[in-house]
Amino acid sequence: MAAMIGLAVTLILFPLAGCTLGRRSIGEAFLFGAGLTGSVLFIAGVVHVPLVIAMVLILIWGVGTAVWQLRRGSRPPSMSYPRLATMLMVLPFIALTFVAAITPLNDFDGRAFWVLKAKEIARERAIDGPSFKAVTLDPRKNHYPILIPLDGAVILGIAHDFDDRQLRWFYLGVLAALALLVRERIGRLVSPPAGAWCAALLVWIPQFSVEAEGGALSAYNDLAIAAFAAGAFFEVAEEVSPSATAKRRDFGAIRFGLWLAFLVLTKSEGLPFAMVFLAVGAFVFRKRITSSAIVAGIAAVALFIWRTRIPPGDEEDILRLLPTIPQKLHNVRAALTAFPRHMLLMPHWGLFWIAVIIAAALALRNDQRNATLAISVIAAMLAVYVLVYVATAWVVADLIAVTADRLLMHVIAPSLFLLALNARSR
Amino acid sequence: MSGRWLTRIAAALLFVSLAASTLPRLIALVNDARTLLPLPYEARRERQMGPWYVSIEKLRRELPPNEPVALITTRRDIDSAAFANYYLFPRHTKLFIGRNSYRNAAYDPTKPKTIAVATGNHVERITYDGLRDRELRSGTRVVSAPELSEPSTTFVLPLAASLDGPPPGTFVIEATLANPNPVPAEVRVTFWPKGLRRTIVIPPRTTTTYYDFVYQLFAIMNSGWMRVESSQPLRAAFYFANRGRGDATLMPNAAADATRIAPAPLHRDTKLFVINPKETRATVILNGESIPLDPHAFLSRPIETLPAVSGNVYAFVTTRELNGRTDFVWPQ
Repeated sequence: MAAMIGLAVTLILFPLAGCTLGRRSIGEAFLFGAGLTGSVLFIAGVVHVPLVIAMVLILIWGVGTAVWQLRRGSRPPSMSYPRLATMLMVLPFIALTFVAAITPLNDFDGRAFWVLKAKEIARERAIDGPSFKAVTLDPRKNHYPILIPLDGAVILGIAHDFDDRQLRWFYLGVLAALALLVRERIGRLVSPPAGAWCAALLVWIPQFSVEAEGGALSAYNDLAIAAFAAGAFFEVAEEVSPSATAKRRDFGAIRFGLWLAFLVLTKSEGLPFAMVFLAVGAFVFRKRITSSAIVAGIAAVALFIWRTRIPPGDEEDILRLLPTIPQKLHNVRAALTAFPRHMLLMPHWGLFWIAVIIAAALALRNDQRNATLAISVIAAMLAVYVLVYVATAWVVADLIAVTADRLLMHVIAPSLFLLALNARSR
Repeated sequence: MSGRWLTRIAAALLFVSLAASTLPRLIALVNDARTLLPLPYEARRERQMGPWYVSIEKLRRELPPNEPVALITTRRDIDSAAFANYYLFPRHTKLFIGRNSYRNAAYDPTKPKTIAVATGNHVERITYDGLRDRELRSGTRVVSAPELSEPSTTFVLPLAASLDGPPPGTFVIEATLANPNPVPAEVRVTFWPKGLRRTIVIPPRTTTTYYDFVYQLFAIMNSGWMRVESSQPLRAAFYFANRGRGDATLMPNAAADATRIAPAPLHRDTKLFVINPKETRATVILNGESIPLDPHAFLSRPIETLPAVSGNVYAFVTTRELNGRTDFVWPQ
């Protein structure tokens, strides 16, 4: 029963916070709320506003907006989805919820870095407290962005309990919210059946559902990156889509910028990912991309300011490693083959990537504009990751072995979109 | 077949390929959860992580919530230390790879006094001396083929120590006691000037070895001199060894008085040692100054040059070379 507080906070707080900038579907509201809560707390921490005060303000704002919108009776447009697809989507969640409620966290990165940071922030009520300044704790991965640990700290703080059982729901919630976002957005952009089936496929991908390192039962941040990237991708896709409503388009660039800010503050890969999105988004949003860049830029600047205040850990500084690429050309072959090899790992991905590649080829013929958008995001991001593999100071084979599948998670939304495009073209 | 059906078949194939991998693992996870369900939450962690987590729970019970902890581990077991750090929260921990990195932090004000050693199998609280002993025990002795003395019943070690120098200096006495007799030898070892006494028995025709004679017998880290008395003649070798550097010096038997130290090059940290191995008071004369010594006394003094020493005592000099090796200048 103790973990029920964490469940209640997860289910109420983040969707409420997500409604602060307009009513949206529950999945999107959860992700938007998680991103917004973490980002606002992070920036509050950087400018030394007490985190508790920032949290209370978010809560008041969230509740106020929710009440106001309920009174107005504004609701996101509802769609009807195929029952079978919905049932198939729900089934793994029933099992995963049962497992998350009972089994303790037993992953690597979650315990070694992310949840530990959440506990430290919850205890110190600061993002540059003694733990981060390495006065007392070893600064392993000290410069990792901390949006998700901040969300975790909120849950731990409200629950008055530092046990990781309080956080198990959050990560499961991110997968559920991502599935709902995929269902709703692809449903709107392509067709409700396509959205429902893509969401069902997503939750049955082993890497997302049952994989011990990176899945919904772990406390890795790759799921959150995949979700925020999905949010950003769908904003661009919606902008491209002729069916998008003019009203959504008005704030599309701002929302896009917010998703990018969430990416920047969630994981180190988020910054290059945001830059790729900005480059792609510039063709779509045109002049309005400036507002997206400003929002994402604020997050990036805040991240850099925060990093200057705390000592670095043992994380790699990829920018400094880039000039060493000429000496590491022997890594090129392993880096180039990393993703194709991992895409074919059946226990992690089934036939998913084979289907995506075929779907991409077909979609290029049938819906070139949307297909190009999705392929360019996937290709650009994987190219960035290949570059990192070449430049790394780690043993490249070891790094690929532990990261490639998780990095593939990041481009799940454009990949599912390609599958969906193919369904529409038929 | 229409394109619509082709799409449906492709989607079904894709779904089956995913479910074929996910479903069995999902079922296994649910079954695992069902077996854990009747247990309290901490017991579930014990079941998941085994004895390692039990050791963490024990450590948490032993330590106050605000007690900072030095987690000492090896490169191989660094993950274990990272997880120990996680489960010891809210206790502040500081990670050290090996005993020497802990020693190197001697002047770090944040260095925790409480030590826990983290391995892949368990995490446990330990004293510094215990940690050092564990490391020395698991390593190899500096001298693999000791030069044994002629049989004798009494040995006087002019210097017996279990001490740390500047890292990685780790000083020990490596002892080898061989009993060539057909009867057991009862050996009485006395560590002076503290007067600590231990009796050990060496079975007939057996050789007993010690990697850290002083600590193994008396469980202290200290220095002094030592008298070894056996009921049977023993062949023995006692080396003053620096395990950190891997060098060793054979100790002479200082049973008789000797003070005439031959001229030798002196380097740094040079010290004169004088011991009075007798049961009566003695007097040592240092550069004309007469100094009375109690029975079993152990005197050490830093020196710049070799002094003139005389008296009914045993005197010798140690000096440290630039490379860290300790040289002994014994009396003739």
